[in-house]
Amino acid sequence: MSEFATVSPAGSPPRIRNFPSLAPRLALPLATIAVFAAFSVVSPAFLVPTNVLSILTNNFALQAIIALAMTLAVTSGGIDLSVGTAVDFASFAFVTLVLAGQPVPVAAVAGLGAGLVVGLFNGFLIAVIGISPFLATLGTLFIGRSIQQQLTNGGNPVYLPQTGIPDAFRFLGHGSLFGVPVTLAVAVLLLALFGLYLGRSSFGRTIIAIGTQPVVSRFSGLRVARTVTIAYGLAALVAAIAGILLTATVSVYIPNSGNAFLLNAIGATFIGTTLSPLRRPNIPGTALGVLLLAIVANGLLLSGLNFYWQQVGTGLLIFAVLAFSFLRGR
Amino acid sequence: MSDPSPAKPDLHLDFSGVSKSFGGALALDGASLAVRRGTVHGIVGQNGAGKSTLIKILAGLHKPDAGTLLVDGVSQPHLTPALAEELGIHFIHQDRLLVRSFTVGEALFLGREPRLPGTPFLDRRRMQREADAVINRYFGLSIPNGRLISELSTAERQIVQITRALIGKPAVLVFDEPTAALVRREADLLFGLIRRLRDEGITILYISHYLNEIEALCDDVTVLRNGRTVAALPVANTSARDLARLMIDADLKELFPVRTIARGETVLEVDALSLKGRYEDVSLTLVKGEVLGITGLLGSGAKEFVRTLFGLEAASSGEIRVRGQRVKSLKPPDAIGRQLALVPEDRRGQGVALDLSVAENTTLSSLGRFSRFSFLARRAEKAAVQALIQRLQVKTSGPDALLGTLSGGNQQKVAIAKWLSAQSEIYLLDEPTVGVDVGSKAEIYALINELAEKGAAVIVLSSDLPELIGLSDRILVFFRGQVIRELSAASVTPDQLLAEATGSHIREELAHVG
Repeated sequence: MSEFATVSPAGSPPRIRNFPSLAPRLALPLATIAVFAAFSVVSPAFLVPTNVLSILTNNFALQAIIALAMTLAVTSGGIDLSVGTAVDFASFAFVTLVLAGQPVPVAAVAGLGAGLVVGLFNGFLIAVIGISPFLATLGTLFIGRSIQQQLTNGGNPVYLPQTGIPDAFRFLGHGSLFGVPVTLAVAVLLLALFGLYLGRSSFGRTIIAIGTQPVVSRFSGLRVARTVTIAYGLAALVAAIAGILLTATVSVYIPNSGNAFLLNAIGATFIGTTLSPLRRPNIPGTALGVLLLAIVANGLLLSGLNFYWQQVGTGLLIFAVLAFSFLRGR
Repeated sequence: MSDPSPAKPDLHLDFSGVSKSFGGALALDGASLAVRRGTVHGIVGQNGAGKSTLIKILAGLHKPDAGTLLVDGVSQPHLTPALAEELGIHFIHQDRLLVRSFTVGEALFLGREPRLPGTPFLDRRRMQREADAVINRYFGLSIPNGRLISELSTAERQIVQITRALIGKPAVLVFDEPTAALVRREADLLFGLIRRLRDEGITILYISHYLNEIEALCDDVTVLRNGRTVAALPVANTSARDLARLMIDADLKELFPVRTIARGETVLEVDALSLKGRYEDVSLTLVKGEVLGITGLLGSGAKEFVRTLFGLEAASSGEIRVRGQRVKSLKPPDAIGRQLALVPEDRRGQGVALDLSVAENTTLSSLGRFSRFSFLARRAEKAAVQALIQRLQVKTSGPDALLGTLSGGNQQKVAIAKWLSAQSEIYLLDEPTVGVDVGSKAEIYALINELAEKGAAVIVLSSDLPELIGLSDRILVFFRGQVIRELSAASVTPDQLLAEATGSHIREELAHVG
């Protein structure tokens, strides 16, 4: 039937473009390339292999893992302000057990478990009790902060000695896989895995439907509470991986340091969502969002601007995204 | 009906030729309304007949496209809410309840607080005095101004609403479905009050779905249908049955195809099912190939009953059996597992996700069918959706189109397609054609028939009575939480059905109360 080829519900022209046109699909990659090119011109120190690797390892990798966690929560229709708490809990459990002489794999599993507790607690508050995600995870953030201060005598860092560190620990922090730093490799692997899974699986579809229209999802028989709990659990688990890698990299656990990743994680998720064809949270978008923020941060620094200008760059970037989205919406 | 003749002195309100359209849809089409001073005047009509538009015009909320509005014999072409209040026209809305976080005093005097003379401060003592005077006089009780609205019962809130209007010294009081949320005893008290206010010279407009109330309470009645005034007559000369007949459009009949009923085995049995405060003691059986109609006014419990079958409400007692198997705790996923399907009335809020694509909506309840090891077989999914699009004649650019780009009728087809994809066998359709254009309506009717012919069991809940009669084999009538009648669709007329649903059977009972 030929009428399927053209939209024509009598009298009502389609409100939204049906097939995502090319511009929104390419907006984010093009913006990233443009910013990268601009800094390459402005600063001779920017387009140097060591610097590019530094951007990817130091500015991108951990932040991307935590932004991935955030994206999971945002996709389910909420937000996770306590991603940093899961990072910290994992990091604390990991360091403590390594210090106690436990094998690194055991310590890592314990770290993941500690992070997961945070996520399941969030899931319980949100899906079972029905607290709004913002308030629930804000509460978790505060409680987590207090717990860490209690555990560390008011916030003293836990250092690992310079000597006698297990090789496995060193490998996580400073090793490389096929020439790629472990942290970066893990980040890329996780992004690819979750990107593929959320994009192609029935779980991914379910979580998007729940995040978009929870009531319709309930009326369609989707298990909303269970899915939301899993989303927050997964988010915390992913954040916990970042926590373990962070500690392995710096050989220290600093209480409440995970929160430093929170705002950029939200920013990157927002950028990825806004600049995607259907305006849905999505992992490739989040990854590019983190990359964009990382390039801006590094580029501004190399351009000779004071470190404190970084946040201005991030803010302006978000305004630019908003402006673009507004123009597109008309 | 009134011609544009010179103002008649005994008419308090005299509207004629009033038309109003919203985006091409004609809500009022030359309607008229003539209300004698100091009478209780009823307005009746089915949903969409234009009652609420007419009331909103009287309130100054909508500006009519055409027509004259005479209030006290004076033309009011530019009615605004403020002007309506100045003219003494006050409204008791069922849906515009009071702000819950206000105190009684704030709610009563919002926007017209008395001040201490010469100061900006509120005269709280005078506020309490004025409130007491009215509440005591008409209701014989006292509600402290300091209490929060959220602490009051429904009846007390209504008292506050009426009191707020009475403090304003109304000339016309408009009651919009005032008894929908009241229990019987409270409703009786309200009727007594309305008669007393009328005797004190206030003109009352009374809008209700309950025709028995109109019969018992009103002096005159205006009947609206499809935006036109089809009758205006003294209640003494009519009956609930006559009113029902006037309300129903008898012209559309041919939309319904004939179905050959092949009765199969019983698929759904309901035994003495009750949900506290909503419905009680409902029993029914449903066989394959049958279309069972259910109707009832808002608050009759019919909707809650259907929601219970789908696991959205938990029954307080009674039993549901699906294919002979007793269902204990039912949640929507379990209901779907038993091949039940619900197409809810609120399409945009509950039925379909406008921001998901046609394909995503269609397979939302059957993702398991299209996934292997949790990964979606997207090609198979798309093919299945494409086939359903063809079968239901959904007008769309394709499976990837966002659902928000489709018209209401086509969205509804997708809402049904979702259950075809889930291979459901027991369909619960709540107002399946609400907000659907005539063409899609006919297609949806044909689809329901086709489903039944192929052995599905269907329950249709509808307030569109010709539709219900056309589709159903049997019809159950809910009234105030109970099934009061079971009728054969072949032998019932829409006006009989409406008379049943609007409670004409309790008319004699009610007449004694006044």
